[in-house]
Amino acid sequence: MLLRYITRRTLIGFVQLFCLVIAVFFLIRLLPADPVSRLVGLNSSPEAYEQAARQLGLHRSLFDQLGIYLGLNPEIAQGLLQGSLGTSWATGSSVGSEITTFLPVTLQLITLAFILAFVISIPVGMLGALNPGKAADKGIFVYSLFAGSQPEFWWGLLFVYVFYFQLGWAPAPLGQLSPMTFPPEPVTGFMLIDTLIAGEPAKFFEALHHLMMPVITLAFILSGPIIKMVRQNMVRALQSDFVLYANLIGLPGKRVARYALRAAMGPSMTLIGILYGFMLSGAVLVESVFSLGGIGQYAIRSVLAFDYPAIQGVVLVITAISLIVYLALDLIHAAIDPRIAY
Amino acid sequence: MSEGDPLLRVRDLKVGYEVRGDLIVPVEGVSFDLNSREVIGLVGDAGSGKSTTALALLGMARPPGKILGGEVYFEGRDLLKLPDAEMRAIRGRDIGIIVQNPRAALNPMLRVGRQIGFAYRAHNEVTAGEARAQAIEMLRLVGINDPERRVEAYAHELSGGMAQRALIAMALSSTPRLLIADEPTSGLDVTIQAQFLDEMWQSVQKTGSAMLMVTQELGVIANFCDRVLVLHKGRIVEDAPVHQFFAAPQHPYSQEVLRFYHERASGYPAQVTGGAGFLQTLGLTKHFPLRGSDKVVQAVDNVTISVAKGEAVGLVGESGSGKTTVGRCLMRLEHPTAGSVFLDRQDITKLSAAHMRRMRSRMQIVFQDPFDSVNPRWSVADILVEPLRVHDDGKKADRWDRAVAALKQVDLDPSLMARKPRDLGASTLQRINIARALICNPDFVVLDEPTSVLAPRARNSLIALLARLQKELGISYLFISHDLTTVRYLCQRVAVMYLGQIVEEGTVEQVFTDPQHPYSRALLSAHLMPDPTHRRVDNPLPTALEGEIPSPIDVPKGCYLASRCPDVNEVCRANPQTLIDLGQGRAVRCERVLGGENSSQMEVAQ
Amino acid sequence: MAAATQELMPEQATYIPPAHRADWLMRIGVSIVTLVIFLAIFGPYIGPYDPTRTTIRIAVPPPGFTEMPRLFWAWIDGTLDHPPHWMGTDANGYDIFSRVIAAPRTDLKIALLANILSLIAGIFFGLVAGYWRNWSTELLIRVSDVLQSFPVFIMAMVLVALAGRSATNIIIALAFVYTPIYLRLTRAEVLSQTSRGFVEAARAMGNSELSIAMRHVLPNSLTPALIQSSVTIGFAILLTAGLSFVGAGVRPPTPEWGLMISTGANQIVLGEWWPSVFPGLAISLTVFGFAVLGNALERRYERG
Repeated sequence: MLLRYITRRTLIGFVQLFCLVIAVFFLIRLLPADPVSRLVGLNSSPEAYEQAARQLGLHRSLFDQLGIYLGLNPEIAQGLLQGSLGTSWATGSSVGSEITTFLPVTLQLITLAFILAFVISIPVGMLGALNPGKAADKGIFVYSLFAGSQPEFWWGLLFVYVFYFQLGWAPAPLGQLSPMTFPPEPVTGFMLIDTLIAGEPAKFFEALHHLMMPVITLAFILSGPIIKMVRQNMVRALQSDFVLYANLIGLPGKRVARYALRAAMGPSMTLIGILYGFMLSGAVLVESVFSLGGIGQYAIRSVLAFDYPAIQGVVLVITAISLIVYLALDLIHAAIDPRIAY
Repeated sequence: MSEGDPLLRVRDLKVGYEVRGDLIVPVEGVSFDLNSREVIGLVGDAGSGKSTTALALLGMARPPGKILGGEVYFEGRDLLKLPDAEMRAIRGRDIGIIVQNPRAALNPMLRVGRQIGFAYRAHNEVTAGEARAQAIEMLRLVGINDPERRVEAYAHELSGGMAQRALIAMALSSTPRLLIADEPTSGLDVTIQAQFLDEMWQSVQKTGSAMLMVTQELGVIANFCDRVLVLHKGRIVEDAPVHQFFAAPQHPYSQEVLRFYHERASGYPAQVTGGAGFLQTLGLTKHFPLRGSDKVVQAVDNVTISVAKGEAVGLVGESGSGKTTVGRCLMRLEHPTAGSVFLDRQDITKLSAAHMRRMRSRMQIVFQDPFDSVNPRWSVADILVEPLRVHDDGKKADRWDRAVAALKQVDLDPSLMARKPRDLGASTLQRINIARALICNPDFVVLDEPTSVLAPRARNSLIALLARLQKELGISYLFISHDLTTVRYLCQRVAVMYLGQIVEEGTVEQVFTDPQHPYSRALLSAHLMPDPTHRRVDNPLPTALEGEIPSPIDVPKGCYLASRCPDVNEVCRANPQTLIDLGQGRAVRCERVLGGENSSQMEVAQ
Repeated sequence: MAAATQELMPEQATYIPPAHRADWLMRIGVSIVTLVIFLAIFGPYIGPYDPTRTTIRIAVPPPGFTEMPRLFWAWIDGTLDHPPHWMGTDANGYDIFSRVIAAPRTDLKIALLANILSLIAGIFFGLVAGYWRNWSTELLIRVSDVLQSFPVFIMAMVLVALAGRSATNIIIALAFVYTPIYLRLTRAEVLSQTSRGFVEAARAMGNSELSIAMRHVLPNSLTPALIQSSVTIGFAILLTAGLSFVGAGVRPPTPEWGLMISTGANQIVLGEWWPSVFPGLAISLTVFGFAVLGNALERRYERG
C-alpha cells in the first residue's frame, strides 16, 4: 500500500517536473530577452551576432532546440536523457557540475537555519500555548508576526554592520571562508563536512564562523511563522476533546502533553513544506549579501546573464528537490496520523 | 466517613465564563447528594448546564469556563480544594466518566487498547503487558465480542457504539466508586442505545459503582435510574425518587417537562382512501461504487414504496438502513442504480435535467439539520423567496407577501423576515425550512428526520404542525425517521428498513400493536418509555438484538438479520429472505414469521 | 451536529484563547497601512527634494537626534540654504528621506495590482476547480501545484529579468506567482462549502448548477482569500524589494526601497549605514503593518 503510494507520487512528480521543465524552456525563449546581445555586446557586427547565435544553437527551431535539450539528438549535444544539463552560456562549464558545486552550499545554509529556527521556536511556541493570553504569550505572538514579515537581505546587512563593522565579532561577508584560506578538497560539497573529512578542524570552525551571520539571519525570519504555527497547533490540540478527556480520566500531565504534541505535529507538516519553499527564496537573498556562492547566487547570475541552460538547470534541480521534500513531509504526516489513509 | 454518609455531596456549585467583560453563570448553585451504588439521573434541557456540572464534579471546566465556587465532597474530601496531583489520582481511579461524543474523546492517533492501557496504568502499578490484558478483559466486560481484535483498532475505525463501549472500558478499568455518564447515548441508534445502556447497567452492577447519568431523555431516566435531579436555570429544582417524580412532580418546570409525555394523543391517524400510488417507487436500488475496488456499497436494495395523495408514509430504520438514500433518490439528488420513481404517474428518473428542475416545484425535501440547510449569510426573507425566484413563480412584487404568509402558516411571526439563521433556535429554523418547502405549493414532501436534532420537547410541536399542514394542504409526506414512535402520531402507514431492504410494512396501527418481523419488534422494544413502573432493568426482554449491523459492502448471503436475530436458525442463515405479502397492505420479510415459528409474543410497551 | 451546537453554550464549541486580544496591535497595523497608503498617494510631492534628482551633497550622514529640532526650526525660519537631509544622502547624492517616502507609490502600486489580478484569477479558477470536479479541473490543480512547488522568488526573478525590468512586468510576474495561493485557498473553501446542506437544498429546490455556484458557494468561499490578501500584499512588497535588490526589479532612478538598500549595500562596509538602514526600516514596518492587519482580519472572521 505504502509502496504503491510512493511509486504513484514519484511518477506524478516526474511528470510534473517534466512539464515544468518544458514550460520554462518555452517560456524563457518566448520572452523578449535577447541572450545573444548579452554575450557579444550591444554594438557587435551582424556577423558576430550571427555566429554567436549559431553557437548558442538559437538558429534552430524551438522544437529542435527542445529535442536537443532533452537528449533526443545526442550526436549534436548531450541532453537530459544522457544525464546532462547542458553547458552554461556564460561560463562555458557544464551546468551540472556548476550546480553540484553550488547546491550543497545552499542546502547547508537552509538546513542549519531550519535546525536553529526549530530549536528556538518550538519551546517558545509551546511556552505561548501553555500560557495563553498572558503577557509572555502576547509578546511571543507579536514577535512571531514581526519576524515573519522582515526583509532578510536588509537584516543580513544590518547584522554585517553591527556585528562585523561595529563589534568585529563576525567575519567580513566575503564567502564561506576568508579569501585567504585555501578551501579543502570538495568531497561532498558541504563545506562543514569537507573540512572535517580533510582533517582540518581550524577551517571547520572558520567556516562555522562565516556561516554564523547568514544562518542567524535566516533562522530569525523562519522563527516567526514557526512559532506562530507551533503555538496555534498546540493550542488547538490542547483544546481538543480527547485532550480534555485524557485529563478527565486522570492521565498524568506528561502523558497528556505528549498526546497534544503529537496531535499538533500533523498539521505542521504542510506548513513546513511551504516554509521550505519560502526559505529557498530567502536563501537566495542572504547568499548574495554574504557572498556565499550558493545556488541562489548562481540563479541570480544566470538570470541576469540570460544564460538559458543554467536557468533551466536551476529550475529543474530546485523543483525536483521541492517535490522530494513535499513527498517526504506527506509520508511523515501519514506516519504520525493514522487517519490519513492511502 | 461512616456507612450511611453519601458518597458524593455537592454544595452550591457555581461555574461561569466571561464573555467580553460580562460574567455568565450557567451553573448557579447546584446542590445534591449521591449514595453508594445509587443510580441518579440529571435531566435538563439543552444548554441548561448539565455537562458543565458533570465536568465540574471532577474539578474541570471547558475553557473559557471556570469553577467559581462551591464544594464537592467525595468520600469526605472537597475535591475542588485538592491540588492537581491528587485530583489526577482521583479522576479515573475513584470517579470515572464517559462523555457525549465518544470518537472525539479517544485519541485518534493511538490504538484503543493502548489508551485503555494508559488509563489503567495511570492508577495501577502494572507492566504494559498486564495493562493490555486488562484492556482486553474490560472490553469483554462491556460486551465487545472479539476484544483481542478490537483492542488494536483506531478510534476512526470504530462505530459510535463500539467507541462508547471503549470509553466505558477505560472509565471502569480501575473500578471507580462513581461513574459519570454525560449523555452517553446521544447519536447512537435506538437498538444500540438500548443494548448499550443494558450493558452499562450490568457493568456498573458488577463493579459496584454508583452512577450519575446526565441526559435529556426521560425514557432513559425512567428505565435506569433510582432518583431524578432536574436542572433548570442553573439550579436543581427537583430531587425525587423516580416513581414519585413521574407520578407527581413538584416543581412547575418538571410538571411542564412531563406534561408533553402525558399529553400525547392516543389512537392512530385515520387511513387515507383513494389516490393510491401518487408517489410510487418500483424496485428502487442504489449502489455506491467503492474507490479503488470492485466492491459496491449496497445502500438500497429493491425498495418499492407507494404513497397515496394526502397520505403520510413513514420510513423507519437505523443508521445503515438506507432510508436517507431512498429519500435522496426520490428527490433525484442521487441517481438510482436501478428501478424507477413515479410522481403522479410520471417517471422522474427519466426526465431531462431541465424538465426535472421544473418538476422540483412539485416535490420538496426538508433535511435533518436546520442550520446546515440554509445559507448562513442570507436572511430569512432571502431563504423563503428563493424557491419562488427559481421557479419564477408569480410576480416579483408578491414574493415578499407570500414569504410572510408562509411564515404565518408555520406559526411564526413575520418579524423574523429580517433575521439571520444564527440568531434563531433549531426548532424555529426547522419551521422556516418547512415554510420554504411549502411555499411553492408542492404535492409531495420528503421529511428526512426533521426532528432528530430537536430537543424532545420541541419534537412534539413540530409533528403536530406537520399533521395540521397535511390536513390543510392535502400534501403527501414521506417521513423518514429512526424512531418508530415519532412516526405513529403522523403517519398512516409505515415501512421498516434494515440494511437497504424493507423488512416490514403495514398500517401504523398494525405494526405498532403487532409487529411481526424480529427487527421491528426489537426496534419497538428498544424504545424507552418514560414509565418507571415497567422498568427495562427489572424486566429484561428477550427480543433484544445482539451485535451490530453487518457491513453494506459485504451483505450476508441469507437473511440480513441472521447475525443478530434471537430466533435465527440455519435455514435463515442460508436463504435470502423475500418480502412476503400478507394481504391488506401488510408485508414481512421473514419466512419463519409466516410459518408462525417465532418465540412467544413479548409485551410491547404502548 | 451543527444544530446541537447552536443550542448549547460555548462549552461545546472550540475556544481559542485570545493571546493577542491586543486591539492596540490592530490599531498599530491600521495606522501603518494608512500611512503607507497616504505616502503612496502624496509621498513623491511632500518631500523636501525631488526623489529622482541628485544633489551635489554626497554621502552626507543624517543629523543626530539632538540636532534635529534646531535644524527644523532653522528650516522653517528659512535660515538654511538647503533643506535638511533628514536621513542623509547616498553615494550618488540622492536625498534619502524624499526617496523613502516616495517609494511606497512604486511598491504599493505593484503589490496592490498584482494582488488584485491574482485574487481574481485565483478565486475564479479556485471556484471552477472546486465546484466542477472533472479531468480538466484536476489538471488545473496539478498545474497549480507545480507552480507552487517552485520557489516564488526565483520564478519571479526569471520572469522579470527576461521580460524586461518594468513595473508592469513585475506586476504580471507577481500575479502569476500568487495566483496558485489564492486558487488553493478558494478551492479548499469551495470544497468545504459544497458539502454543506444548503447547497444540496438549493439543488433540491431546482437551482441550476451555475446559479448555485454563483449565488451560494462563491459568496461563502471568498473569506479565506480576502483575509490572506492583506498578508500577501505585504509579501509582494518584500518580493519587489528583493527583486530590485538583486537587480531584477525596477530600474533606477525609480525610488524603491529594495533598490535603495542595494545601492547602499556597498557603503555599509565603509560604515555609511544610512542609505540602507532607512529604506529597510521602512520595509520592515510596512510589511509588519500588513501582517498585523491581516491577522486582525483573520481573527475577526474566523470567530464567525
